[in-house]
Amino acid sequence: MKPPLVPRALVAAVATQSDYECLAGDLCEEYSQRVESFGAAAADRWYWSQALRSVPTLLVLSRSDDSLVDSLKIGALVVATLVATILVGALANGALDSFFNGSYAPLWLHFAASWSIVLLAGYALAYLARRRSVRLAIGAALFFVAAFAIPSALGLSGRIYPLAWLLLLGTIPAMTAGASLGHVLRRL
Amino acid sequence: MAKGAFLGEFEHTVLLALIRLGEGAYGAPIRQEIEVQTGRSPAIGAVHATLARLERKGLVRSWIGAPTPERGGKAKRHFKVEPLGLEAVRQARTALERLQSGLAIRARFA
Repeated sequence: MKPPLVPRALVAAVATQSDYECLAGDLCEEYSQRVESFGAAAADRWYWSQALRSVPTLLVLSRSDDSLVDSLKIGALVVATLVATILVGALANGALDSFFNGSYAPLWLHFAASWSIVLLAGYALAYLARRRSVRLAIGAALFFVAAFAIPSALGLSGRIYPLAWLLLLGTIPAMTAGASLGHVLRRL
Repeated sequence: MAKGAFLGEFEHTVLLALIRLGEGAYGAPIRQEIEVQTGRSPAIGAVHATLARLERKGLVRSWIGAPTPERGGKAKRHFKVEPLGLEAVRQARTALERLQSGLAIRARFA
């Protein structure tokens, strides 16, 4: 009998690769013992409690053994993903406007297209980076926001209007969601 | 003694559970041993985090075992207490005994 999917996905999303393997095994082993001793419902409750209480420590726990070369490779990967996201986003939004014969496409369609592309970029990042992809996605999205917001705040580029802020800030949950999805699907 | 050589309360608990279980113990039995002996049910994530910290301090050593079917095909991380870990437990015990000795509320510890 398998433990409940949602807390399993939660553990898979927050644990590092090296921790996940052993931690998920320990949880699975004790869950099976509890199913036999106390029944499935009690075992499910126990699994939920363990997963939820483990999240804070798993978020701060890091068995970082990356070399400088690994870190540089991951950094290059993140930058390449962001550049690709900007290019694909610009192409997709241009294509949307041309689809509407020169007039502007509805705003919600631009938002949906942009966030979908960012979500896919997060998903791709989870497959390419493999380790710590959720944290990498959050970092990449924050970098993305800062890359637009800081020049604007310093007067080096145009002002960011409220709707553009909404679009920009929406990339953080979108990229995180994409990376979490990729990360969880790869492990489960 | 350097600050890192002192044991935190939960580190002390995890190390004692590991000593009780012996070489090769891993996350699930360590968590269960703490629950049985102390009545406290720690989160498995906290046990793993503490073991990782003890390993960084050089107090325990770990190695990965083979995956087993009852664990959903997942491997175990086995642990062993290093001599430095035993020494840390000994020092913690001595320090606690010194602190408790001669206290007026000694009867409460009996």
